[in-house]
Amino acid sequence: MSDTCKLPKFGAWHRFQTRRRLFGSAGMGIGSVALATLLERDARAAAATPAAVRGLPGLPHHEPKAKRVVMLWQGGGPSHVDLFDPKPELINRGGQEIPATVRGQTRLSTMSSGYAKWPVVAPIKPFRKYGQCGMEMSEMLPNLGRLADDLCLVRSMNTEAVNHAPGVTFFLTGAQVPGRPSMGAWMSYGLGCETDNLPAFVVMTSSDKGKSCGQLFFDYYWGSGFLPTRFQGVKFRNTGEPVPYLTNPAGMSREARRVLLDDIAAMNATHLADYGDPEIDTRIAQYEMAYRMQASVPELVDFSDEPQHVLDRYGPDVRVKGTFAYNCLIARRLLERGTRFVQLMHAGWDQHGNLFTQLEEQCNDTDAPSAALIQDLKDRGLLDDTLVVWGGEFGRTPFGQGDPANPKGRDHFGKAFSWLLAGGGAKPGHVYGSTDDYAWNITADPVHVHDMQATIMHLAGVDHTKLTYRYQGRQFRLTDVHGHVVHGIMG
Amino acid sequence: MGCFGAWRSWCVGVAFAAALLAGGAPSAADGPLDFNRDIRPILSENCFYCHGQDGNKREADLRLDDRAAAVGAGAIVPGDPGASTVLERIHSTDADVLMPPPNSNRRLSAEQKKMLDRWIKEGAEYAQHWAFTAPVRPAPPQVAQAAWPRNDVDRFVLAKIEAAGMQPSPEADRAVLIRRLHADLTGLPPTPAEVDAFVADPDPAAYEKLVDRLLASPHYGERMALPWLDAARYADSNGFQQDGDTWQWIWRDWVVKAFNADMPFDRFSIEQLAGDLLPEATNEQKIATGFNRNHLLNGEGGAIAEEQRFNNLFDRVDTTSTTWLGLTMACAQCHDHKYDPLTRVDYYGLLDAFNRLPETGMPTRFSARIRVAPPLVELPSAENTRRLAELEAAMKAGEAAAKPVGDALFASWKQGLFSDGEAADGKDLSRSLTPLLRKPEAERTDAEKRSIESQLRGHFEQHVKAGLVKDLPQVAAYEAAKKAFEEYKGDQIPRVMVMSDEKPRETKILDRGDYLTPVGEKLAFLPPAFLPPLPEGVPQNRLGLAQWLFLPEHPLTARVQVNRMWQQFFGTGLVKTTEDMGVQSEYPLHMALLDWLAVEFREQGWSQKRMHRLLVTSATYRQASKVTADHVAKDPENRLHARASRFRMPSMVLRDVALAAAGLIDLTIGGQPVYPYQPDQIWEALAITKERDFTYPASHGADLYRRSLYTFWRRTVSPANMFDMANRQTCTVRASRTSTPLHALTTLNDPTWVEAARVLAEKSLKSSTDSATRLTHAFRRVLGRRPTDYDLEALARMHARQLAIYQADAEAAKQLLAVGESKRDEALDAAEHAALTSVCLAIFNLDEALTRE
Repeated sequence: MSDTCKLPKFGAWHRFQTRRRLFGSAGMGIGSVALATLLERDARAAAATPAAVRGLPGLPHHEPKAKRVVMLWQGGGPSHVDLFDPKPELINRGGQEIPATVRGQTRLSTMSSGYAKWPVVAPIKPFRKYGQCGMEMSEMLPNLGRLADDLCLVRSMNTEAVNHAPGVTFFLTGAQVPGRPSMGAWMSYGLGCETDNLPAFVVMTSSDKGKSCGQLFFDYYWGSGFLPTRFQGVKFRNTGEPVPYLTNPAGMSREARRVLLDDIAAMNATHLADYGDPEIDTRIAQYEMAYRMQASVPELVDFSDEPQHVLDRYGPDVRVKGTFAYNCLIARRLLERGTRFVQLMHAGWDQHGNLFTQLEEQCNDTDAPSAALIQDLKDRGLLDDTLVVWGGEFGRTPFGQGDPANPKGRDHFGKAFSWLLAGGGAKPGHVYGSTDDYAWNITADPVHVHDMQATIMHLAGVDHTKLTYRYQGRQFRLTDVHGHVVHGIMG
Repeated sequence: MGCFGAWRSWCVGVAFAAALLAGGAPSAADGPLDFNRDIRPILSENCFYCHGQDGNKREADLRLDDRAAAVGAGAIVPGDPGASTVLERIHSTDADVLMPPPNSNRRLSAEQKKMLDRWIKEGAEYAQHWAFTAPVRPAPPQVAQAAWPRNDVDRFVLAKIEAAGMQPSPEADRAVLIRRLHADLTGLPPTPAEVDAFVADPDPAAYEKLVDRLLASPHYGERMALPWLDAARYADSNGFQQDGDTWQWIWRDWVVKAFNADMPFDRFSIEQLAGDLLPEATNEQKIATGFNRNHLLNGEGGAIAEEQRFNNLFDRVDTTSTTWLGLTMACAQCHDHKYDPLTRVDYYGLLDAFNRLPETGMPTRFSARIRVAPPLVELPSAENTRRLAELEAAMKAGEAAAKPVGDALFASWKQGLFSDGEAADGKDLSRSLTPLLRKPEAERTDAEKRSIESQLRGHFEQHVKAGLVKDLPQVAAYEAAKKAFEEYKGDQIPRVMVMSDEKPRETKILDRGDYLTPVGEKLAFLPPAFLPPLPEGVPQNRLGLAQWLFLPEHPLTARVQVNRMWQQFFGTGLVKTTEDMGVQSEYPLHMALLDWLAVEFREQGWSQKRMHRLLVTSATYRQASKVTADHVAKDPENRLHARASRFRMPSMVLRDVALAAAGLIDLTIGGQPVYPYQPDQIWEALAITKERDFTYPASHGADLYRRSLYTFWRRTVSPANMFDMANRQTCTVRASRTSTPLHALTTLNDPTWVEAARVLAEKSLKSSTDSATRLTHAFRRVLGRRPTDYDLEALARMHARQLAIYQADAEAAKQLLAVGESKRDEALDAAEHAALTSVCLAIFNLDEALTRE
């Protein structure tokens, strides 16, 4: 290996090589502990800025308003008609037919597209004006309502998707058919991560207690598509350990693992000396990061340092693993610790046949935790540079589903629906966009799926047209060839 | 440095390599310009988006992809840079005049501008994209070190190494070579005895003998199937809600068998694309067409079937074109391709070949577990047939016994009906019945009587009977027998999804790819116009498409496939973008070698095994993988192949290696997928559907140790320990090789590896009473080679430290030894066994163990 000393500067490898020459070529002559210590330090130095952690050069493209993003995905399609978009006309005309001129050629799911009657179902509960800004939302959302002056309510969302999986895939990956990188993967790829003790992109799922709607969350909602797989979201599991294989096998203590890893590193270092491939250096760092993650994840999910009044905010479920409340608190703890993109996915908004009973329960389960997360971020001064996004794949039909004489629910509806944003550069106390008297057609400022993606990226410091990846001979991006940043929801 | 540097200027390491590549190939600086190498990448990347062949997006009605058009417009005046407006625009300092426009995110470097100046000055000659003209076999180049090459592949490789002023690496040690060959050809590690025999074999053809032995192994087909399954987006379930299971593993077994039999690549392809259309098609040939039925299937409530059907069609076009043509057709779904000469007519012309299936677009529920979409081939085994007949007989017998009881119940229920149609059970009868029932019995016509009878019976069967018969044993027995028959028939008869042309449909261009807006004339299948035409006498259908791929003049099929073979054995394709050989693909440094291999593949009769043999018996392949300072400086990405590539083995292979090293592995080939260790409640996310029980049906016994290939692949939640895998949702021909802490946690903590370590430790303990011999045994089972003195010292140190820990904590030792379902020999000292288990786990996690050197 005499040629190694002529090497150009090559990071930890070079340092190690130099050190090996110092101590002799086969690792003889120094104690293994000393060697391991040296190696560990080298590995830590290497791990401080491994390629996986850095973002791309030139990014962020501009000063980000949001250093972190938390997506509170409301799966199933929350009813904009009942929750966010008050229409006196719908209250006045309950049971009457929605005019064909309003309905037009709207593409509906096959559950309702063949209907002969389109009876209006009035919002199931009254709306209320919240905050200084007087933002109107359902009385079923009192906690979010209390934060109205921090919220930006977008009433003009729209999508082409008519079904759940394509709809969710569209919002999270930019295409309705699975296979493209998800938004969080793009962000990690472009911006890197701020911590090497925790993943840059974490996903957690939950469902309504009755499991009434059967919405599933698939791997491709947080997949990396054609980006390297290290950018895919790490899904924290709801049972057992949060990260698969996080815990040492029974009977192997953390101390036993530590010495074992030191001994592995020593042998890897010898192999590096023999084979000279800098990738071996990366391997040593990879195992060190794994060891650190084994400590940082349990610390993350240990709530013993949370004051009672904070826990109370999230509601009684906060200590129940796998609930939305629990996940909201974990989200805050992740954001504090440098995770860049947190994606919570909560199922239960698909009220085809149980609107009158289940919607309110659903609000009860999600309203307090969502608000608690926002409030908590605000209290810690993190809301200013953390973007909170609350919404689902579509809204719900203003007409009723089921027996026209006695409808029990609403079908999927993508032509107009509502989302909430907070913090991270979103305009507080603001309502953006509007729909017609039936909450059916958008009348001002439409925000398409790609527009919302472009806007979220923009707030995070990314020009959505510039963050591209060459695959199959073309430059792909989250927004395909579409999307406009919506300046009206920033401020 | 040339165009390459600026092309990917953000990557310093790559720029290094680019400098070298331009130096390795005859560069423009010291030779004639090559349009494909020097000019097209600049134009394609910077100009064609707006001035290419897509007429809808074309700006200023100027196209630069076509010489006549560019010259006609005065943009290019051959020989006269001063008069060429294109040069004026690219050199401009006025932001309004400058091309590419400053807001396009594209910018030409000074070198690129100089290159364009020179090209126009020299006459602005265009050339067809290199990959779109048929390969012609080039003569292997002369080399200085004439003794080094073992076959013609090596001459091409060595010539470039010599031109770069580098040296090929020495041959790897035999112990390394045998492990490399095993990893690449069977995916299983060699035993120490096999290593010793090979190392000691004095036969000059020892290496070739070994290669031939491995090529003949039935496990060769399993290893070769892995990348093919990724391309075919093979999985054992539909994806999406309900995520029904399928029988596509029967297709997977077809693939393994075809590789093992060395089915020539033309037949291999034709059967998978169009086996059903072959004369007298056999079941096997129909099963082969499962390739294009492995796509996702969306059966969500409310989903629009026709939309889903088109998603399937688009997927077939994309998968077929990526797999065989190395082209991205998807762009042309909505508009003419920006870069490649693919139009929407080409796209929908190809789509028509797949648009003839009797399919709805949605899967059909056959049982709570099974959802598959016709057309299908049903393949009842002898056991299925026997059991089905048995169940049917039981059902019929039950029916015969239950009928009189049911009739009697019906008669008495009918008696109790009110004349106004109120049923005794309170359930509304059909409204059409009410007027009939109100009619006095004497006035009813025969037809009305029959109608009443059948409607009442229907209502009775559907709503009433179940409540009345609960306690009647004859009826309950019949219902149970019927359910058993139907459940068995739906759940247990293998039904492979296959292709069929039984329902031709009208194919038209879809405006922006929207299935609701077909436009223009009806299209019938034809290959893309820029590729060779469909010859006379070839049918204008899928079979014609498949045969057309193998025309001798076809420029892509052979190149695409040999490029993927190169990727498999050398880590990176000769064209790095194995999924794309179009205009935007990487210009290959080793174009001549690629063409030589392509022609060789075709002319030798499309044998894949022969190509694999050719590649792995080359001196290029046999080199050591050690990286020298010279390599790092001149060729960090190893595109010149002056050393063997070293890369982490796929996670599926790593698992197999651990199981095999422990001697746990069950090498049964083929059959139903199995359910080895996964984290508890791996499918918890799916459990919210009430349709079926999504408890993971964990295997026990030998099925825990089958090869990874046979692990059930649920498309919505893939196996947690198969990291860095293709997603099996869309066609993937280039595997990801990343390195994250989660991968390390898997091979350190997954019970699969821990149990393998425990069993390997047990075998090592029993192999000798001598500690060094035991450590050597464990080491060699995983790594093949003999440990060096340093290795042994390190292992001994590791062992001593672990032993101290477990001797101090007997309970911990017992816990560690309890991982995994296999029995341990309790006669062994627990602390000794646990300590050695730790060491074996460490060996599995050595970089050398994870890596194919």
